[in-house]
Amino acid sequence: MNTQIPSGPPEELGGAYALNALSPADTALYEQYRDQSEQARIEAEELSDTAVALGLATIPVLPSAGLKATLMDLIKTTPQLAPLGESAQRASTKPPMTDASAPNTALTLVPEAYATEAPAPQTVSAPSELARPGMVEASRGASDAGLLAEMPASVTGTAAAHTAAAKTVPPRTRAEDRARARWFQRPARLLVAASAAVALFIGGTVIGGAVGDNQFVEQQAAGLAQINAAPDQQRASATTGDGQQATLVWSNTLGISALLVDDLPALSANQDYQLWYINGDGPLPAGTFDSSGSGTAWRVLEGTMHAGDGVGVTIEPNGGSDAPTTEPIVAFQS
Amino acid sequence: MLELMTAESNFDVESTAPPTKEELLGRVAQGDQAAFGDLYDQVAPRVLGLVKRLLVDHAQSEEVTQEIFLEIWQTASRYEAGRGGASTWIMTMAHRRAVDRIRSSQAGRDRDTKIGIRDLAIAYDHVAETVEVRIEHERVEKAMSRLTQLQRQAVSLAYYGGYSHSEVAEMLHIPLGTVKTRLRDGLIRLRDELGVTS
Repeated sequence: MNTQIPSGPPEELGGAYALNALSPADTALYEQYRDQSEQARIEAEELSDTAVALGLATIPVLPSAGLKATLMDLIKTTPQLAPLGESAQRASTKPPMTDASAPNTALTLVPEAYATEAPAPQTVSAPSELARPGMVEASRGASDAGLLAEMPASVTGTAAAHTAAAKTVPPRTRAEDRARARWFQRPARLLVAASAAVALFIGGTVIGGAVGDNQFVEQQAAGLAQINAAPDQQRASATTGDGQQATLVWSNTLGISALLVDDLPALSANQDYQLWYINGDGPLPAGTFDSSGSGTAWRVLEGTMHAGDGVGVTIEPNGGSDAPTTEPIVAFQS
Repeated sequence: MLELMTAESNFDVESTAPPTKEELLGRVAQGDQAAFGDLYDQVAPRVLGLVKRLLVDHAQSEEVTQEIFLEIWQTASRYEAGRGGASTWIMTMAHRRAVDRIRSSQAGRDRDTKIGIRDLAIAYDHVAETVEVRIEHERVEKAMSRLTQLQRQAVSLAYYGGYSHSEVAEMLHIPLGTVKTRLRDGLIRLRDELGVTS
């Protein structure tokens, strides 16, 4: 089905692109070609508009009344993306955001906050992949690239201690990994049962975030929307060691989860928060993130969630670890 | 309202005319929930119609439609009025989302066995119900009739069937390169027939 046949000239892909019929690799190839010339851009736009005409020729179908009611309810608590800055801004020589007063306005996501210089690797840019959290690999490295490097250090005592420990970590053995993971296996006092009716999504700054790549933000937003829309959406809430309200939302059928934390303290430049899926195989890394220190920080976890998995958050050295090196600041049992 | 229409109020037609989808989308970008509701009323049947064309299953189509509208809510600020109408933006998103669902789920494969290639090759098997839709429908049907049968088949499978170009190649037993050419030539022909310009 996905036989890799050497691609011909990229302009040949224009038709399939407009019809959403390309593989992720071909999509990336075509978009690169399209962005290189005005003529190509015009053709891409015209073919896309032509495809829309095909769409408008289908027979309208009346949705059930419940759908609108559900949506009106959902948008009350779903964050919106801030307007996209000029694309030139993203590619320009604008220095990386170095100001803690970055526009982390509540109720908006702030992609500009990710508009630093290093462009994210573009290996995954197919629209068809946007909604799949498992595909965030391209963004992952970037999210570790010292996004909030100049954030004022508001490191907590425990975090600092953990960092000191982390710095002296020798290459690990499996036994050590197991020992470090031990907290995940015992019924930690922080584990909480699922509770419904949590006031959620009242604000939000997407956390983690690919440098210079707005796609990560959209991908995150799409993931959150998917979870929101899932009929089997579930939630659990917990309080972090420092007393912040944390909420996990997930869908077992989709195998996706997202974490939301209010007013999570910002970390120093050499640290990241790291997410983990915890099951019988031990903790699996599920992405790293930073927090601006105020508002609701949220992130869709990387990887697949399985029913019954736990989710934990630890503070790790910048870029994350292969296995947790510190006690969790919060953990959930799904 | 029992209000006498004066001559003066007739001059207000422009300002009291229902807002366009573009205006509504602009307000949605500002967080206007009522505008979102109005926009939904205007375009939801169109969106669901397209999604259902691809997914067939009604419940699943509503689910995807819900995702699409949440994405509209979340990303309304990314809509650039200068680069096409709101319908274009929304229907493009709707098609992408429907295709995503097909690719990402077993549902896509179950669906294949249910509908088969036969139904997809014939894109128009219903009578349009509203004038607007009927006109658009006839216009597109006419344009489609100008394509070679092979182009029409490939375009229909890709757009209405949600199949990838490699799947289309497999289904039609033709090389991938040929599919690419047919899809592009077919769409270019359609573009010219429909008079689409950027």
